[in-house]
Amino acid sequence: MTKTKQKGLRALKFLFLLLLAILFLVPILLVFMNSFKSKFYIIGSPFSLPNSETFAGIENYIKGLSSSGFFAAFGRSVFITVFSVLLIVVCTAMTAWFIVRVKGKFTKLLYYLFVFSMIVPFQMVMFTMTYIVNAISFNNPIGIVFVYLGFGAGLSVFMLTGFIKSVPLEIEEAATIDGCNPLQTFFLVVFPILKPTAITVAILNAMWIWNDYLLPYLILGTGQKTVPVAIQIAMQGAYGSVDWGGFMAMLVLAIIPIIVFYISCQKYIIKGVVAGAVKG
Amino acid sequence: MASITLKNIKKTYDAKHTVIENLNLEIKDKEFMILVGPSGCGKSTTLRMIAGLEEISGGELLIGDRVVNDVAPKDRDIAMVFQSYALYPHMSVYKNMAFALKRKHEKQEEIDRKVHAAAKVLELEEYLNRKPRALSGGQRQRVALGRAMVRQPSVFLLDEPLSNLDAKLRAEMRTQLKKLHQDLQTTFVYVTHDQTEAMTMADRIVVMKDGVIQQVDTPQNLYNHPSNQFVAGFIGTPQMNFIDAKLAAESGRYFVCFDAYRIPLPDRMVKARDLADYTGQTVVLGVRPEDFHGEAEYRLKTQRNLIHLPVDQAEMMGAEIYLYGEIGKTPVVAKIPSAEPVAAGDTAALALDMQAAHLFDKRTGDAITD
Amino acid sequence: MHKNLKRYFPVFALPTCAAFAMAFLIPFVMGIYLSFTKFTTVTNAQWVGVQNYITAFTADNNFINALWFTVKFTVVSVISVNVIAFFLAMLLTRPMKGTNLFRSVFFMPNLIGGIVLGYIWNLLINGILSYYGVDITYSAKYGFWGLVVMMNWQLIGYMMVIYIAGIQNIPGDLMEAASIDGAGPVKTLFKITIPMVMPSITICTFLTLTNSFKLFDQNLALTAGAPGRQTQMLALDIYNTFYGKIGWQGVGQAKAVVFFIIVAVIAFLQLYLTGKKEVEQ
Repeated sequence: MTKTKQKGLRALKFLFLLLLAILFLVPILLVFMNSFKSKFYIIGSPFSLPNSETFAGIENYIKGLSSSGFFAAFGRSVFITVFSVLLIVVCTAMTAWFIVRVKGKFTKLLYYLFVFSMIVPFQMVMFTMTYIVNAISFNNPIGIVFVYLGFGAGLSVFMLTGFIKSVPLEIEEAATIDGCNPLQTFFLVVFPILKPTAITVAILNAMWIWNDYLLPYLILGTGQKTVPVAIQIAMQGAYGSVDWGGFMAMLVLAIIPIIVFYISCQKYIIKGVVAGAVKG
Repeated sequence: MASITLKNIKKTYDAKHTVIENLNLEIKDKEFMILVGPSGCGKSTTLRMIAGLEEISGGELLIGDRVVNDVAPKDRDIAMVFQSYALYPHMSVYKNMAFALKRKHEKQEEIDRKVHAAAKVLELEEYLNRKPRALSGGQRQRVALGRAMVRQPSVFLLDEPLSNLDAKLRAEMRTQLKKLHQDLQTTFVYVTHDQTEAMTMADRIVVMKDGVIQQVDTPQNLYNHPSNQFVAGFIGTPQMNFIDAKLAAESGRYFVCFDAYRIPLPDRMVKARDLADYTGQTVVLGVRPEDFHGEAEYRLKTQRNLIHLPVDQAEMMGAEIYLYGEIGKTPVVAKIPSAEPVAAGDTAALALDMQAAHLFDKRTGDAITD
Repeated sequence: MHKNLKRYFPVFALPTCAAFAMAFLIPFVMGIYLSFTKFTTVTNAQWVGVQNYITAFTADNNFINALWFTVKFTVVSVISVNVIAFFLAMLLTRPMKGTNLFRSVFFMPNLIGGIVLGYIWNLLINGILSYYGVDITYSAKYGFWGLVVMMNWQLIGYMMVIYIAGIQNIPGDLMEAASIDGAGPVKTLFKITIPMVMPSITICTFLTLTNSFKLFDQNLALTAGAPGRQTQMLALDIYNTFYGKIGWQGVGQAKAVVFFIIVAVIAFLQLYLTGKKEVEQ
């Protein structure tokens, strides 16, 4: 009696979760589906499946994207994300190590400044920051990498110092005796030990930078679009005459790298994001 | 080929906090020297200054004939073994051992030869490809030793290398380390807080307290002739008993008086020093637990030194039995053969071997008699 | 060795520090200063005292409205996200067929960026509303609930994962002891599970709180404040003040400072609460 009841309950639970999962996937599937429909059939009836009349093949992807310079934006986003993340991980790890191992008032102040920056909302500094970046001509895809280093430093230094504090000093002293200078000690011994936290930091920063809209919009403007900027411009700048087909294709291409990334290293991502949340 | 000389060594932190005021020590070539003392006594700091991990605030440090105050650790011809072993967790055993040689850009075949030679001595050959986390504590310890050995340094510095091992392994490693020292024919400087380690392995021991060297001597001499009350209490387990006693003189003979006892001093003590200064004053009588004797024939022989100890607690240790009690208000431990029929609640009649006893200045703690 | 390392400051810390100064530190200090001035291009700033702060609250109702809208949105989101996430975490804690797949699906939306997310839901919500002949800009109510639903979609999976970690950390013998003592499932939930995952609840609450409060991209993409400025949240209002009206940059900066202070208070509150919890354990 209770066994069958339990079984029934479990089946109910499963069904409920399944339904919810489908509900969670609907928005994404909807975009995928509409990206294959001709542009006139999207906004009026987004829920209808493509049929022989409305099916547009990959036309949206070809026409819509090439005309709006999306591929260039995609390449730019990849460039900025990859180099920003590399720079952030290496530089903030070095800084975090310096802060932990050189104890003093100065490094303490530095640490608190980094932590403080985490709670300041972007709007607080966006105007003045844009001004400075323009003034020193960092308003290009290479300059923005350094801007991201500055903004990413807070959380990254915070997480890395937390981990470095748990690395026994004796290991570094052994390296000193074995003939390492500080740079060798860092890159041959400390950094490899930091790897798990460095991966977490890399993932958190990659997700943020890939998706970031306002910062690249303010610094690079509409002349050098990143993916989120291109999407926003395609919508906002069109004043009613939106090419919905191309727009859907853009959304799909903005999501796909994330999904691929997610599927390929899901364990790291979930662990990293949770670690970032708990520590931040 | 490397003696170590510390001349007027001083160590301060932040210019205010002084750890070591003025330390002088000479460690001979090929000597097994052990620095021992309670935590915070400056023994590790001293070792780390020799290693070059701590800056020297004043004085001179010589390794061989060379002043090395400002020489980088890697150029001091030393190797160090750490308490936590400090193995590189992301490198295999082989790479851990080869690391220092790689930094010196030695030839690959040379590195290979040295690593394998050390691995053979330490029985690590089959573990060369493992990461440290896949090794037991004892194996890690040997890797740490191996890492030091491959560099063929003229000085080995060891900072509490056995304290992370369990008791059985620690005893084994003591013998192995001693043998290793003999085989390598180099200077060992070893830091520990464990006097047993110091007594069993060292050629000479440095006893330190509060940044000051209390005594430097062979284990034998430290045990038999401690130069002060601290050393006497630090060396030997259970600790030496210290009993406050009054020194009395009567027709050229001296006595120590405490509780209801009045015990004559042996000639050895009287001859060693003029005790007139202390007559009528309180001194500290030091008696090791093993210098109380419960055996019948001993009691007969030294009747005048007989003490009656009310036993509160008797701890059976196997060959010996530890008796705990009080004389006057002073807690006393005696260690007698377990064959003696004594139990808690009894009053044990114990003969005091005054030949092995010590007298200390109550105020300074310095030994009055040798 | 430390002294040795100190000399390496230019190598180890200078790049980060320079970038940090350029992107954050100098702009922050300048921002505070400029909030007390009237300016259009930073260089032409004129001291006006607290005038900008007064203007921010009194010249029009935009800031107050945005603040009120943001608070309402935040309260509703924090409650709905956390309740649903906790419920899902309870369902998905015990291993079951498909548990991992469910977790992955629920977590995924969190990784999609705000702009993309906003437009996905724009399409979806407008698609539904088109059956009634309206769209999301028709009424602020649609915009509000659209934002709430979207926020739930984005954050539920994320919070769920944190709750799962919290629930799994509860020692098994505690649950066993409860069932031996005859506690039913409801009692176990309120007397054991919830108190034991209190740290996770604090984390999740503040995470949703700050995420909702600082929302910008999603707001911009989903409604852009329409109709009128009725669904405009704080961050978007500040943005529009800066870049919408010439000569209002000072007011925008003043609003930003107020915004920063509110967020900082929330952050310190969290620090205080979590700090206290850790002591108790």
